[in-house]
Amino acid sequence: MSEFQRQHPVAAVSRALDLIRGNFITILVFLFVGAQSETFPFLWWIGGGFAFLLILGVANWWRFLFKVEDDMLHIKSGIFVRKNLYLTKDRIQVIDITSGIIQRMFGLVRLDIQTAGSSSRQAAIDAITRDRAIEINRILRRGTQKSDTPEDEITELAQEPDEILNRFKLPHKELLIAASTSGSFGIALSIIATIFSQVEPLISESEMFEYLFNMLPSQTDTMMIISIILIFIVFAWLISFFSTLFTYGNFSLEVKENEIVVSRGIFEKKRITVPYNRIQAIHVTEGIIRQPLGYASIHLESAGYGDGKGTGSIVLFPLIRQSEILHLLNDLLPDYQKEHEGIRPPKRALRRYLFRSAFFITAATALLYWGMNFNLWIWIFPVLSVYWGWLKYQDAAAAAGDDILVLRSRRLSKSTAYIKKKRIQDATLIQSPFQRMRNLCSIQMYVASGDHGKSFRVKDLEYNDGLKLLNDVRKNGIEFSELVDEQVVNKKVPLPGWG
Amino acid sequence: MQEPQFHKLTPRAIRVWQWGNFIGNLFFFAIPAAYAAVFGLDGFHFWMVVITASIIFILWQLSIFLTPYLSWKNWRYAIDEKEIDLKRGILFKTRTLIPLSRVQHVDTRQGPLLRWYNLSSVTISTAATTHEIPALDSVLANRVRRQISTYARLAEEDV
Repeated sequence: MSEFQRQHPVAAVSRALDLIRGNFITILVFLFVGAQSETFPFLWWIGGGFAFLLILGVANWWRFLFKVEDDMLHIKSGIFVRKNLYLTKDRIQVIDITSGIIQRMFGLVRLDIQTAGSSSRQAAIDAITRDRAIEINRILRRGTQKSDTPEDEITELAQEPDEILNRFKLPHKELLIAASTSGSFGIALSIIATIFSQVEPLISESEMFEYLFNMLPSQTDTMMIISIILIFIVFAWLISFFSTLFTYGNFSLEVKENEIVVSRGIFEKKRITVPYNRIQAIHVTEGIIRQPLGYASIHLESAGYGDGKGTGSIVLFPLIRQSEILHLLNDLLPDYQKEHEGIRPPKRALRRYLFRSAFFITAATALLYWGMNFNLWIWIFPVLSVYWGWLKYQDAAAAAGDDILVLRSRRLSKSTAYIKKKRIQDATLIQSPFQRMRNLCSIQMYVASGDHGKSFRVKDLEYNDGLKLLNDVRKNGIEFSELVDEQVVNKKVPLPGWG
Repeated sequence: MQEPQFHKLTPRAIRVWQWGNFIGNLFFFAIPAAYAAVFGLDGFHFWMVVITASIIFILWQLSIFLTPYLSWKNWRYAIDEKEIDLKRGILFKTRTLIPLSRVQHVDTRQGPLLRWYNLSSVTISTAATTHEIPALDSVLANRVRRQISTYARLAEEDV
């Protein structure tokens, strides 16, 4: 492994396909424009484009070299500008093995090695054989173990780091529920909207659309609009249903000596390895539809860049019964202290919660109702928003254990975060003028996650409680002199409080 | 068991912010100017321009004569072996605690205004966030930077 190697030639193709996928909408627009031009035949456009991409892909493949040497992965890449990338074992956060459809046709995988920060984004080997990927994985992982364990334990561990201590699977029923209540619903809706907005100018010129447009005025009533919206929603739901099904099919979670391995995916298989000592935080999300059904999902924050968008969130378990969360977490992360006595915002914070949630919605509704003569039914939104505010108040809580913080809050879905104190990157206490008047404060904790970190916050806690939480993060335990005597004893809640 | 030792920024910071706001917020007058250019200056439009311009003028004056002073008054920082503690904010009071073991890098920066007053700002980055102590005497800023990096090295831990 100490010689420079090329990837499997299939990398050239998968690289070209990646380029297509990355610029899909642009290409689509180009094709439509091309199809309308007379001077260039349509096929030339497509053929030329593909040839160009293929040449790019081959060149990329030819100039991409990697080797593993001295506990370090060295990658050389770039067609004209040569880039040398060195990844040392000790800094690796997450190792990610994916096999897309193309890779699988040739029995290959893609290997992603993530360190903290975004520069590691290039540290991906597009196509190598599975055996070699696993070998690299093992070589690099042995290093992370070595740095953490005393010398005498190495031999013992090195022999069986791959032993699976525990394995969890996602039952089919849970998978179906996860798919049908998936939160990517909104994303799917926005995808449809984007496609529609891209395609719309092209359709609007066609005769069919004109015809429809002429038909419309005679039928433009609420029913028409509602049915269009319904069709959109059903489409979005179907998309999110199947995408979740394909992403989380074959889900399994393996617990090993030093790491957690998540594998999932039906068409595109993904295998994510996270060393235990790289976990930044765990958070449990109970979605607005899933919560009443008694389900939640569990995420893990890592300092690698995780799933695409630069956030370091990794789905640790897509759907689980609330009553089983604690069992799973206990098996998975025994060193996380789970149950605590939490502090809630005081009663006088309730009105702030209600106000924050309901104000804009009520104002907008009033405007629509009186300004534009909307139906009386829109007043249901302010009522719902008041309820939403009440829920947010109910769910806000925080607790500090010996070495861990638990923060619970709700935006739309309820989220309970477990953060090891030593993983906190920055702890902030914020007081707005109104909060100061009422002696309240908000706290916000940042952990490293992906490119930008992730924050967890709880609003409108008692000022003293906020200071105490901040104090808990301090290592040397300096007491704040401002800490006033405890006048109010808050209602304590059991955290996390899953049945 | 005592409150960490908090320091203030140098009073020269006020001058820097005053000049900064004096120049920077001048650009807001472009809004009424653009409005006048588009709609002309007669009747209703004239009053729109006058009103927006005077509101902007008042805010501009405030940003020169009031806010720099207040934000200087509210800024505190403390650095010890374990943490960096920052307090700031005029209306929204913010207090941030950065464990030194989490500090990824520290740098000092100096724009033309800061250089004129011989000041520097210190930027502290963690794996998640970036914070700035905005205006310190250059010598002090370098000392603070060295101090943080020394402490941070002592407290070395993994991400």
